[in-house]
Amino acid sequence: MRKPKVQEFEEFTQSPKLQDVRYDVRGPIAQEAARLEREGHAITRLNIGNPAPFGFEAPDSIRMAMISNLADAQGYSDSQGIYSARIAVAQYYQARGMTDADPADIYLGNGVSELISMVLQAMLAPGDEVLIPAPDYPLWTGATTLAGGKAVHYICDEDNSWWPDPEEIESKVTDRTKALVIINPNNPTGAVYPREILEAMVDICRRHNLMLLSDEIYENITFDGAEMINACTLSDDVFTITFSGLSKTWRVAGFRSGWIYVSGPTYRAKNYLEGLTLLMNMRMCANVPAQHAIQAALGGHQSIEDLVDPGGRLFEQRETAYRLLREIEGVDVHQADGALYLFPRLDPEIYPIEDDEKFVIELLRQQKILVSHGRAFNWIDDNHFRLVTLPGVEDLEHAIAGIAEFLADYRDAAARA
Amino acid sequence: MEQFEDFTQAHKLRNVRYDVRGPIAEEAARLERAGHRITKLNIGNMAPFGFDAPDSILVDMIKNLPTSQGYSDSQGIYSARTAVAQYYQSRGMREAQVPDVILGNGVSELITMVLQALINPGDEVLIPAPDYPLWTGITTLCSGRAVHYICDEENQWWPDPEEVESKVTERTKALVLINPNNPTGAVYPREILEAMVDICRRHNLILLSDEIYEKITFDDAEMINACTLSDDVFTITFSGLSKTWRVAGFRAGWLFMSGPKHRAKNYIEGLNLMSNLRMCPNVPAQHAIQTALGGYQSVEEFIRPGGRLYEQRNVAYKLLSDIEGVDVHQADGALYLFPRLDPKIYPIENDEKFVIELLRQQKILVSHGRAFNWIDDNHFRLVTLPAVEELEEAIAGIADFLAIYRDAFARS
Repeated sequence: MRKPKVQEFEEFTQSPKLQDVRYDVRGPIAQEAARLEREGHAITRLNIGNPAPFGFEAPDSIRMAMISNLADAQGYSDSQGIYSARIAVAQYYQARGMTDADPADIYLGNGVSELISMVLQAMLAPGDEVLIPAPDYPLWTGATTLAGGKAVHYICDEDNSWWPDPEEIESKVTDRTKALVIINPNNPTGAVYPREILEAMVDICRRHNLMLLSDEIYENITFDGAEMINACTLSDDVFTITFSGLSKTWRVAGFRSGWIYVSGPTYRAKNYLEGLTLLMNMRMCANVPAQHAIQAALGGHQSIEDLVDPGGRLFEQRETAYRLLREIEGVDVHQADGALYLFPRLDPEIYPIEDDEKFVIELLRQQKILVSHGRAFNWIDDNHFRLVTLPGVEDLEHAIAGIAEFLADYRDAAARA
Repeated sequence: MEQFEDFTQAHKLRNVRYDVRGPIAEEAARLERAGHRITKLNIGNMAPFGFDAPDSILVDMIKNLPTSQGYSDSQGIYSARTAVAQYYQSRGMREAQVPDVILGNGVSELITMVLQALINPGDEVLIPAPDYPLWTGITTLCSGRAVHYICDEENQWWPDPEEVESKVTERTKALVLINPNNPTGAVYPREILEAMVDICRRHNLILLSDEIYEKITFDDAEMINACTLSDDVFTITFSGLSKTWRVAGFRAGWLFMSGPKHRAKNYIEGLNLMSNLRMCPNVPAQHAIQTALGGYQSVEEFIRPGGRLYEQRNVAYKLLSDIEGVDVHQADGALYLFPRLDPKIYPIENDEKFVIELLRQQKILVSHGRAFNWIDDNHFRLVTLPAVEELEEAIAGIADFLAIYRDAFARS
């Protein structure tokens, strides 16, 4: 009997829409680092804002709250999240000036990441546009693209403290624009936006009927008296979704505990919120143990203050990193007013870099130091990189000395060429 | 002043339904706020019915909490993934390894990631009817087309492989199995599973096997993990801690990839991208996985004769079958029964309204059949989670309601 011919089938491929989705913060370069580690090299990782490996502990009160409540955390919760957590968040925004903040306006998530995805999925039809900063936290661009929308980047102005330029933003509004994203305090630049910039952005939303999406995950990490203004406090007529959570300020990124707070004319977003609620129902609920951490985190002594005050680790590390980077020839950097990063610029006349991803891989291979290249944040040139200011001062000195060596070699090679 | 349009949801959500936690549940919440006590038989959430997680899980999570504060690897921590790989090895998958395992915030998150990485607008996914509605919902959200194959009530609610195959088109990308089945309680026999695997083989489909209830089986029903039935069909198996280990709130699930993974390299890259986008699943619950999968398996107490789930299922089955015009298959697995109301005795035009009436009159909350993408208005699902006494009371209430409905119809 003749043997049937084996059919040649196509391989299984990813959906084409993923081609335009990038998330390099944990992508190919990080994988190269893992490969080097498997070969036995010790890699100094300055590439993601993950406080725990650098010795930042969560406040005891958070751990105690989770432990005490663990037995009650076994079942699914309300899809919006447990009441005690939502009261705590509502009170938090009341204390920030939102006297009408109510638990019904709060939705909890497995970190801000999950909430960004759901907010955009509930909003965007194919071709809808979202104004997103460049450089950005790349999930914003990635999730917009994944939801079928178009990420339209407004360029933060390096010559003006990395602040957005409201005129430039407004010039990019079209009749397909649905929302404006603010990341403040900013990742990766470290900027903390002043009132007038924020008010101008709020006004753009007001005049063009855009939703304001304010990513404030770093809100309590500010230095030198930089004033954090929650964008929601600047209007009552602009529908605003504020994103925040425990990952950074309270150093429990692994717990996945975030929230959104909806404010402004929510009656004009009733249909939208129904869609968002549907998506929340579909994943049942955010993990319940970490929901119990929220009330403990938001009340009482705020240990982050010790870390951001002069003498505190985050303050001193930022100071050290800034000083040492600036001492390197051809490196320029704005001091960060907030968050956990610096975003230095390499003068292209001294460092003619054509591909910043390759540049960062070279640094990794030669010095075993891992940073993130600027284009990973949808930045528009190849002359920037981001490093975290999380390591202890000695480790930072060591790491930046390694970067300085690498740059010296690069400079010399470029000069000779 | 300019009159602006309100902010509306994306159009694609119009066709997405998730009624297990939808309008009927909200009506129940409204009644509760008005002071009524509602007997909730609508979702498979075990904790409220006195099913506690094994102590060892809580103890180990607490022990590991200090090291759970940072982000983990996006695929999940090594010890948990090792435990999962070993689990599938013990089920017959000798080559199961850590890279084949991805952890998630529950199976729900992983279903979303798997479909988003796969589906392009217009792609089709074969999904059972009735189904767990997240499968249909996410497929639709991805602008894919959920093509339902009809599980055969006359044949133990098993799928009909010929019917399944007749629905394959050139746009079909994957075939979903839910086994043990929610809502029907069926546990599929080897020959049915092999036939479904063979459809995937012959039409180059990815097999997606949702096995969240895999350890909740009764009376010698044999759970066969679909991945064990081939090495030439690319299979993604979904499971987790929510049901068997009674920690739904912790959100701890996994997927296991098997078969010719080399033919899915590009797809797996896409899946890894989706993992990276969400950073990682919550780390505390990942630490529960190694604890859960090893050692003594407490679920066995519940499912053998004398055990709560066993006895509750039997009581519910008997009492429902006693009601005139109600017919139900005994569940071989999972936590549900899916009775049928004889349309000659109960001519129901809209099962959602029917269930709301039951709720209002008896303060009992079940789920209507169409919430599971079922094709007629004659079924509903209830959970077999309440203790025997509570079940007796609840089903008596259902029986009262049905008696009134019957009489009203007979008179008209």
